[in-house]
Amino acid sequence: MRLIYFLGDRFLQLLIVVFTVSTLTFLLLRLTPGDPAYILLHANDMPVSETAIEALREELGLTAPLWVQYGQWLMNVFTWQWGDSYVSNEPVVTELLSRFPATVELAAAGLLVMLTVTVGLGVLTAVFSNGWMDRTGRVLAIIGAAVPSFWLALLMIYFFSVKEGWFPTMGRGEWSHLVLPSLTLGLGIGAVYARVLRKNMLEMFNQNFIKASKARGLSNGRILVFQVFKHASMPIVTMLGTSFAFMLGGSIIVETIFAWPGLGSYIIQSINARDYPVIQGYVIFASIVFVKIHILVDVIFYMIDPRLRR
Amino acid sequence: MKKNVWNFIFIVISLLFMTSCQNDSVSEEQNGSNENSTANDERFTVAFTWSPANLDPHGTESWEVMRAGIAETLVRLDENLEPSPWLAKDWEQEDENTWIFELQENVSFHNGKEMNAENVKASLERSLDINQKTVDLLQLESIEVVDDNTLKMVTKEPNAALIPHLADPSTIIVDVATVEDETASPSLTGAFQVKEFHKDESLIVERFDEYWGEQALLSEIEIRFISEGETRLMALQSGEVHAATDVPIDNLPVLENDDDLEVLTTPSLRTHMMLYNLESPFFEDLTHRKAVDASIPKEDIVQSVMMGEGTAANSPFADILPFGEMPEEETQSIEEIMKKSGWNKNKSGMWEKEGEIVELTMLTFPQRPELTVMGEIIQSELLDEGISVDLRQVENIDEALSSEKWDIAMYSMLTAHTGDPQYFQNIFYHSSSSSNVSSYKSEDMDRMIEEINRTTDDEKRNDLAVRMQEQLNEDLPQSFIVYPNTVFAARSEVKEFTPHPIEYYYIHPLIDME
Repeated sequence: MRLIYFLGDRFLQLLIVVFTVSTLTFLLLRLTPGDPAYILLHANDMPVSETAIEALREELGLTAPLWVQYGQWLMNVFTWQWGDSYVSNEPVVTELLSRFPATVELAAAGLLVMLTVTVGLGVLTAVFSNGWMDRTGRVLAIIGAAVPSFWLALLMIYFFSVKEGWFPTMGRGEWSHLVLPSLTLGLGIGAVYARVLRKNMLEMFNQNFIKASKARGLSNGRILVFQVFKHASMPIVTMLGTSFAFMLGGSIIVETIFAWPGLGSYIIQSINARDYPVIQGYVIFASIVFVKIHILVDVIFYMIDPRLRR
Repeated sequence: MKKNVWNFIFIVISLLFMTSCQNDSVSEEQNGSNENSTANDERFTVAFTWSPANLDPHGTESWEVMRAGIAETLVRLDENLEPSPWLAKDWEQEDENTWIFELQENVSFHNGKEMNAENVKASLERSLDINQKTVDLLQLESIEVVDDNTLKMVTKEPNAALIPHLADPSTIIVDVATVEDETASPSLTGAFQVKEFHKDESLIVERFDEYWGEQALLSEIEIRFISEGETRLMALQSGEVHAATDVPIDNLPVLENDDDLEVLTTPSLRTHMMLYNLESPFFEDLTHRKAVDASIPKEDIVQSVMMGEGTAANSPFADILPFGEMPEEETQSIEEIMKKSGWNKNKSGMWEKEGEIVELTMLTFPQRPELTVMGEIIQSELLDEGISVDLRQVENIDEALSSEKWDIAMYSMLTAHTGDPQYFQNIFYHSSSSSNVSSYKSEDMDRMIEEINRTTDDEKRNDLAVRMQEQLNEDLPQSFIVYPNTVFAARSEVKEFTPHPIEYYYIHPLIDME
């Protein structure tokens, strides 16, 4: 019963977030300079007549008063009718959903890389703290946080695709296409999270219950996995949830550089074209994904942490 | 907690598994279809910059449809940028407003349906219905079917540029019945037909065996959409694509050092220019425009910013056009011009008149980074000459031109996209046009524009276009800086993939591979 109340509460929060985000997006987009009709017609730097721009504005419904446009948009948000893209004339929902699998694929692969690096590097640097491995981990974390992903992506394409020919430079298709983009996505942030895991684990080593476990004669390996790692990884799960939600929103830079046909590269095109319905739809879509992932993380915590149920 | 972590890993692995299954099915489908191509035929893969959102030949993606080599118009522009027959075999002008077109025979659409005057009329009417640009270009009153192979077009007003404008991709001929069908690609008449279209990823076209003209040499072409310039270049270097369009100029040294790659360039019909705001107090005066114009180091800009891939400009139209070559005018030095109009240099070396120095606002925009670099060079030159310029980058240049306070602005335009000056002059220079961004008003110019709209004789049109450019160089509403080149790159085994000054002719039947 408590869980139902809990979920009801979270659902209400979701509605509030969607309403706020949709309103803000609508207003911000209208404040941003750029006329979608002009941009569409001005493609290829062609001169355009004012009659042509006016005709397209009319067709796109941009001549209606702002409050009418807003009312229409709000109705659309809650009826799941997000309008048609100005560029393709296809429904926004179809456009977003058709690109979602590619983004999920990349996000999942990126998360896997991130998890491997976080757990592998985090545990090793905690166990061998202050050794050469720890120092290397520290340098890697600094590099991971400092190196921009576009630079890492270009370097990896240059060495692993152009020079060695091991992986394709771009595009989507087979497993090999996933390697470089997912490494770009997961490596840097994984190295950073590894430091968080290391710090948490080192704190755990000094806790009394760990000392008690040692005194009871439990093996070091058992203590490390079932006591130290278990407790130290709690904050990491929250961070992973947030990162995964961000990645599901589309990793804009990585998708653009690797010509990955997901939401990230699509949203960049849509922003450049001032494709209002797509941008608005995308923001709602991303916020729903974001909130849902958080609800999922909350539910998991609710179920495993008895303190939350009290 | 342990469960929690394992749950996460399980979710990630399941998602990967699901998506990989989906991919396998796609690639199997692709492999299956590849078996159909004959063993000797290689697939030519080329990287394009922009990906079309759809394949509607009359919408905003008409250029991309044309570039894929799958579509044709009634008229084509040849290497000399002269209109030549394509789906129209011949044409003649009956009177000032009436044109008769004889269509090619034995042309069939990709669905096997025969092209005739009736479906050409339907195709043009669809474009006129949904695309205002087609209305502006053609200015048609009516289209009539004379017989199965003859079409009569009547314009509202004399439109001497009707023939070159019928080469614009928005007038592509399509079997209209197939455009609204969402399950299939539109049926066009090009030497290639659509095989597969993967939005944002690729467009695969295959040879159309019933093509009315010369058969394509390649059986299949894959166009991959790679928006990022660096990635396009590296895909070419790694051999994943055989050719790439719109190569960023700063990548040229890399390409030139690679023996397997060839850089292919051609002059484009674009002009990079600097606009003067004729409503700004300083530039109302022609002498001030001349002074600033005299300080632009055009040749240096061509060599440094464009790395030699362009030519210095002195009119809106590129010098490859029959009316584009204008004689170099002698310019006075900025010093001479400023002194003549009563300016004197103050102690800090800035021009001053009645206690006021010259402070100008220059606008640039990020979408064409080379223009910002040019703006910075001009800013520095002007500062050396005693004129201070505040350079401001704006996200949307056209919006800023109409709403902000500015004196000069960097700009780029495709000035003769059908090889004809009329459309650009009407929109950019006529005093009644709202797209006349410099607020240039000249009765002489208006008169000449109206005259060129009526004049059909090529020689007279060219003379008029030259006179108009002389007028522009006299009034100087803009300084024309560079005609940039179009730059492609290809692996050495690729044959005949050369850029055309007209930017919508990319894929053609003669492209081949060794």
